[in-house]
Amino acid sequence: MTLSPRFSLTVGLLATLCLAAIIHILVVLSIPRNVQHSAYDNVATHGPDRQFNLLPDVQPGKEALPDLDPAMKHAACRFQLADGPVLFDASIPVPFWSIGLFNAAGEAVYSLNNRTAGAERLSMLVLTTEQLSILRENPPENLEDLIVIETETPISGFALLRAYVPHPMRSGTVDQALMAARCGGI
Amino acid sequence: MNETFLRPEHGEADWYDARLPRPIRPHRGHPLRTLATVTLVVLLAAILGISSAYVIIEREEPLNAVTIGPWHAYPKAGTADADPYSVAIYTRGAVVPLASGEGLALVARKDSAGHLLDPTCVYRIAGQTPSARLWTLTAVDGHGKLVETLPGRVNLASDSLLRAPDGSFEIMAARRPHSGNWLPLAANAKASDGLRLVLRLYDAPVTTGAALDGVSMPAIERQGCP
Repeated sequence: MTLSPRFSLTVGLLATLCLAAIIHILVVLSIPRNVQHSAYDNVATHGPDRQFNLLPDVQPGKEALPDLDPAMKHAACRFQLADGPVLFDASIPVPFWSIGLFNAAGEAVYSLNNRTAGAERLSMLVLTTEQLSILRENPPENLEDLIVIETETPISGFALLRAYVPHPMRSGTVDQALMAARCGGI
Repeated sequence: MNETFLRPEHGEADWYDARLPRPIRPHRGHPLRTLATVTLVVLLAAILGISSAYVIIEREEPLNAVTIGPWHAYPKAGTADADPYSVAIYTRGAVVPLASGEGLALVARKDSAGHLLDPTCVYRIAGQTPSARLWTLTAVDGHGKLVETLPGRVNLASDSLLRAPDGSFEIMAARRPHSGNWLPLAANAKASDGLRLVLRLYDAPVTTGAALDGVSMPAIERQGCP
């Protein structure tokens, strides 16, 4: 059987469009798996894992991570729950601070700020359900005061601590508080 | 006597007869032509598919935006519920989003009249923001990067803002100094560098998309361009 030229053209165009749509979807879905520098990788360039590393001030041309607020100072800590639970502890004397927990894909897992933390001091424990049940057998005395975040799987990720600098004169104090922030084992 | 009378009874006898209707005429294979057609279709589809993906990702405008006047927010981007386009945009840029418990970032790429923002112009940003404990307004270029300005600062914060008695405010965004609240723009930018205004609301009740309905955001008016 032979198709008329117009029908062949229509079939050709439809085939092109369908194939283009499939390629478009494949390209968009494959980008996250093929990025060279994820946020998780970038955080590692600022210091060792399992401790808060102060990121340089957000200034034009010297941004440590994209899309950070220049009014804030940031500290980041990379962790792997497979190496054990992670305890975050910080006391930052500024009107506003917040912490966001992100997994290795850069998705927000948990976040809070100094009002929702319920206390001036940040003390937060991140661990897997399994690690929590082990910890419950011999609980540390301050377990009740901690914000406990359970994850189902031992995730790798990073925490980003943001502290608002109300005035450049306070910048030194904020730096010290961020450097004194703890991120590590119990 | 006409011609049809002379034709044989069986169809097979004049199989290649040009007078047969087109759909039932037998098909003679043209391997080269078929190969060329398939190659052309695959090539065209690849070009179309890859370039459309590139254009959408490069625009850096995730889908599912919540729009309030000229401002756009992407509350779902950077979470597990994000659509594949915002996942691609955020991971490609290695962007660490503002998580919902921290605050909400709103981006303006156009002014209230719908014109693209231009770093060489003067803008008046006035009105109210949704309630938040703290907010900052930052001027970045078309790719979201910070730029050099005359005084060195690139942002304004809500706690150091001059306000009218009713709590409303008026900010002038310009390269040259202005009285009142001045948001410095790029000192030596061309119109093609682009401009985005980023308003970050910290500890705001409106961090979920639904709560953003009906809140008032400041209007962006173009005052003049060189």
